[in-house]
Amino acid sequence: MSGSRAATGGRIDRTSSIAFSFDGKTFHGYAGDTLASALLANGVSTLGRSFKYHRPRGLLAAGIDEPNALVTVLRGDVREPNVPATQIEIFDGLTVESQNRFPSLDLDVGAMNQIAGKLLSAGFYYKTFMGPVAGPLKGTRFWMFCERFIRRAAGLGRAGKTADTARYEKMNAFCDVLVVGGGPAGLMAAKAAAAGGGRVILADLDPEFGGALKWSSETIDGEPSRTFVDHTVSALEDAANVRLLPRTTVWGYYDGNTLAALERVGDHKRDAPKGEPRHRHWVIRAGRVVLATGAFERPIVFPGNDRPGIMLADAAARYAVEYGALPGRKIVVFANNDGAYVSAVALRQAGADIVAIIDVRRSVSDHARKLATRAGGELLLGHAVVDTPGGSRFAGAKVQPFDAAAGTLFGTARTIPGDCLAVSGGWSPAIHLASQAGAQARWDDRLQTFLPPDPGQSWSGAGAFLGRFSTAEAIADGIEAGGGSSDLPAVDDEAPDLAPAPVFEIRPAGGKGSKAFVDFQHDVTAEDVRLAHREGFVSVEHLKRYTTLGMATDQGRTSNVPGLAIMAGARGMAIPDVGTTRFRPPFSPVSIGALAAERFGDLKPHRLTPMHDWHVEEGATMVAAGLWHRPMIYGHPGETIEQAYVREAEAVRGSVGIVDVSTLGKIMVQGPDAAAFLDRVYTGMFSTLPVGKARYGLMLREDGFAFDDGTTWRLSETDFLMTTTTANAGKVMQHLEYLLDIAWPDLKVVLTSVTDQWAGAAIAGPDARKVLEACVTGTGVDDAALPFMGIVHGEIDGVPVMICRLSFSGELAYEVYCGAGHGQQVWDALLEAGKPFAMVPYGLEALGTLRIEKGHVTGSEIDGRTTARDLHLGWMLSRKKPFVGSAMMDREGLVADDRLQLVGLVALDNRPLKGGAHLVDHADRALRDSIGHVTSVCFSPAVGKYIALALVKGGKARHGTRAFISDPIRRRYGAVEIVSHHFFDPDGSRMHG
Amino acid sequence: MLIPCPYCGPRDVSEFTYQGDANRTRPDPLSTDREVWDGYVYDRLNTAGDHREYWQHSGGCRSHLLVVRSTLTHAIVSAGFARDAATKPKKTRRKAGARP
Amino acid sequence: MAEQVSPLGPAWMPGRHGRADGEAGVVLTETRPGSIVQAAAFPGSEKAIIAAIKKAAGLSLPDGAGGGIATDTKAAFGIAPGRFLVVDQSEGLADRLRAAIKPAEGAVTDLSHGRTAIRVSGPHAEWVLAKLFAIDLDPTAFPLGAGRATQHHDIQAHLHRTAPACFDLYVFRSLARSFWTMLCHAAEEVGYDVR
Ligand SMILES: [Zn+2]
Repeated sequence: MSGSRAATGGRIDRTSSIAFSFDGKTFHGYAGDTLASALLANGVSTLGRSFKYHRPRGLLAAGIDEPNALVTVLRGDVREPNVPATQIEIFDGLTVESQNRFPSLDLDVGAMNQIAGKLLSAGFYYKTFMGPVAGPLKGTRFWMFCERFIRRAAGLGRAGKTADTARYEKMNAFCDVLVVGGGPAGLMAAKAAAAGGGRVILADLDPEFGGALKWSSETIDGEPSRTFVDHTVSALEDAANVRLLPRTTVWGYYDGNTLAALERVGDHKRDAPKGEPRHRHWVIRAGRVVLATGAFERPIVFPGNDRPGIMLADAAARYAVEYGALPGRKIVVFANNDGAYVSAVALRQAGADIVAIIDVRRSVSDHARKLATRAGGELLLGHAVVDTPGGSRFAGAKVQPFDAAAGTLFGTARTIPGDCLAVSGGWSPAIHLASQAGAQARWDDRLQTFLPPDPGQSWSGAGAFLGRFSTAEAIADGIEAGGGSSDLPAVDDEAPDLAPAPVFEIRPAGGKGSKAFVDFQHDVTAEDVRLAHREGFVSVEHLKRYTTLGMATDQGRTSNVPGLAIMAGARGMAIPDVGTTRFRPPFSPVSIGALAAERFGDLKPHRLTPMHDWHVEEGATMVAAGLWHRPMIYGHPGETIEQAYVREAEAVRGSVGIVDVSTLGKIMVQGPDAAAFLDRVYTGMFSTLPVGKARYGLMLREDGFAFDDGTTWRLSETDFLMTTTTANAGKVMQHLEYLLDIAWPDLKVVLTSVTDQWAGAAIAGPDARKVLEACVTGTGVDDAALPFMGIVHGEIDGVPVMICRLSFSGELAYEVYCGAGHGQQVWDALLEAGKPFAMVPYGLEALGTLRIEKGHVTGSEIDGRTTARDLHLGWMLSRKKPFVGSAMMDREGLVADDRLQLVGLVALDNRPLKGGAHLVDHADRALRDSIGHVTSVCFSPAVGKYIALALVKGGKARHGTRAFISDPIRRRYGAVEIVSHHFFDPDGSRMHG
Repeated sequence: MLIPCPYCGPRDVSEFTYQGDANRTRPDPLSTDREVWDGYVYDRLNTAGDHREYWQHSGGCRSHLLVVRSTLTHAIVSAGFARDAATKPKKTRRKAGARP
Repeated sequence: MAEQVSPLGPAWMPGRHGRADGEAGVVLTETRPGSIVQAAAFPGSEKAIIAAIKKAAGLSLPDGAGGGIATDTKAAFGIAPGRFLVVDQSEGLADRLRAAIKPAEGAVTDLSHGRTAIRVSGPHAEWVLAKLFAIDLDPTAFPLGAGRATQHHDIQAHLHRTAPACFDLYVFRSLARSFWTMLCHAAEEVGYDVR
């Protein structure tokens, strides 16, 4: 028999029975049980199979340090693998599967990895699979062959293929004091800090606060420790300035006292209330942090130390006292310190027999002797467990006299029968968060462990985190760390001294015996560590990567210090000289869903123009352009995309079309120095622009390359409306703000993004003026009132509008702007006015076609590598004034004749061209040096051919010559003719007409 | 990382845009000295330690800040409006390739 | 004058949503003010702009970064050094401010169409907004009347605390529907009422 339910005791509610399923079998537990305690109480001893060797494994710990009992939680088809059973609160209907076994936990085919154990020693994968591909099944190629088999045999749980339907959220929090850990130190720190009036957050990873007081037999101020906890917690609950976060793991400590925590809001519930997240990702900005994260007990490494039924001593006591689940009835204790004696007494009081206490020390304190007497059983000093004979669960300990100073065994061995071995190898403070915050751990010889260094200004520590393990010390530290000075509650029990003998491993001579595990979760043995040393790995960081020690989901909570000790032993050095690794976030696994939070699924917000709903109702195919959603085409039934945009573009050239241009970036440049500012940022002159006129402008970067283009309209002496390309609106704004703040802070200019203030519609085509004449009131739109690049103000359907005559399409065209809230109304009125002229709405594809035919550039050509001259915009570079980029634009490399220059291409094979395709000089499809690449493509109704814009080396001199498309990935080859980028109406007579 | 914006108070780094090395001054616009411009556009100190740099509070008040930040610890030594520093008289101008 | 069309479109669904029991945790409203105007001072002219806001809108701004004030129909608060957002339920505020501010002292920018005003009020307003914004919403850090400029990922927002449990948010119009949808999602946990 193995684990069982104690007759009485525990913080469980024995009146509330809960049914759950483990590997398809139904079990019962009580409210307050974890999956681990419930299975233990049901006598289940094997909870998982180990990572590499598929050895049966049971519970080692009772908290987040559990390395073995990782399970998969199922909610419908949604699987969450690798959850420690110790962290799962049971609820009715909980369904859990064990992991890494096939076909079942008890009969596992993969266990034959144990027989082939030699194969899987440290560095096995590197040695076997890395290296040159020398033959058909060597090195890397061998790995490619074997990978799928190995990946299946080694590893943890399997991720599901069904999308996670749970809800996750992020929460931002601010506080004066964040207390991490709700044991005695944390509770007292929170209480003291709260009394000081500041805002306090207290987080603990368990469902209930109290830490070790939940399973302690001490009394505090005359009341049982658990009652003391209840009183303290209810006082904190009543305090308005305290937020209690149970089930919350603080897992990351970042710069600026920003900490990340995961609250498991709904994992313990069968059904979540509407809108409640499963996990909440807290980002906490704390004035001060109190680290009261406690300590982890560590095991002793000895042969056969992983058999189910072997458990950390404090965990065994916790199961018995907190959950009323006895890990065994006949318990053997194996220790190198006094703490295990307290655990033994607790187990005895909970109803178990202590068969023997085996201590590596030849003599122990009087306190330990007294405790041993209370626990009962044989006290074997100067002895060690050297193996655990038996099958899939612990049945007895083989013990032998042991010289702790020399680390050697002598004399004869005998076997002590029992059904549980409770082990204590000392304690390691949970210094992970302090380490993340940048603190270098320091070795403490007395406690044989790493302690946090003296705190910086950002955090302070308390209790076991500091290696001050007694409840009295924790309480005193907590009050001090919380900034209080109240009288200390009195703890009546005498605390054990947890300083251990420096014994980390029991190693029979000649390395005989069973495997001795250091890292249970990654199946790393003491021999693996020594092998790594023999093969020349001396740095802790290398050792860690080579053996994978401490790299599993438990981050080596139980294995780091024993692993270091074995390495130190192999190197003949002291542990602190070997060094320790720096802990990094996360402290424990974090659900990706919680980090994504509200950005689950559709990651980006949608930017919609005022006419968006109309486009969608009209059947437009919408396309994302950055955050914006824009109509690509307004397809008719049965039309291809090409047919649709060709029809739309032809309509513009033939009569008139309308397009939504609300997405253009718009920046108000205002102030007495606005004109001077524009002269400095544009290559052209704007101070000479009259009020009521617009001008095309080009901006360069400081390095002299082209940056962005657009028109800027002078609305008054001091007010300019700048337009930018849709894609660059944000970048241009930042560029201008930078210059104004840093280069020219003396200029009186205000910049404001007004992109969203205005709805914009461009009316283009020979009949464009007639459309406006039919609907605009309050102003003329004839050539005299509204010349090319002129601006007028009027009304459409009673709505104030601003109209500028400018053209992107090369046709007679106007851009009509109104307040965005009136956009749809004005759009409707324009459509109505356009009816007699068969005006069509056109999308981005037709817009692109029209501008390619005209040779206008956009972001595909202004790609950050082209200059104004490359794009035939050299005429825009003023010689009368300096401007951003003017000093750098004439560098030799930027004016060379063989630069990539803008040209037009005509496909000679009458097939579509593709953007990004390279151009070469030869038709033979061999790998040739590129002479350039295609940037923008379309079928041109005006030319009647597939055409493109391209950047070609020395392109200006190649007009009239042939080149060849070379696009091997998309298998597009063929001849093109290089022509001028002005395909259509090169003298611009249509837009001026 | 938190950056203390003098207008908005301490804010998460995600609200800010890094705007480059602040150990440089834009040359006289009329200057045609190629070395000076090369130094301004391309040369950076890559300091190990306290580093002067610009951050724009793009997700807040949009001010450019002059931040002194330790590149070793991420500690923010100081943060003020870049404008305040920019309006003070400038003295240092570094030639291309020069090291402090 | 024609009425503005709300950018929220079909995302605006009046009534009770989310958690159904008890009082709604928050009430969400699009307040649709007639005027949202930015008044910006050139360096050194902040006092003149504050005086002009007093003259044009009748609102006395307190000193200090992010300081602000709200009445039933009007509001003003600082959003950046020398910059203020001034809001009026009626139209025409931009013209009144232009008349009150000399061109050498500052600039007036009409944002009445460019920003969408959303009110989040109710007992859980801070809780819901804390899901979206990384700023301290506690009254000790964000007092009544104060304004804050912040962002939720790509969405810049100006927040104004107009009552102890009431925040008015101003976001870019083109992003308002996406923001509103996210806000509603965040409010489901506490239950919300759209009015
Ligand atoms: Zn700021």
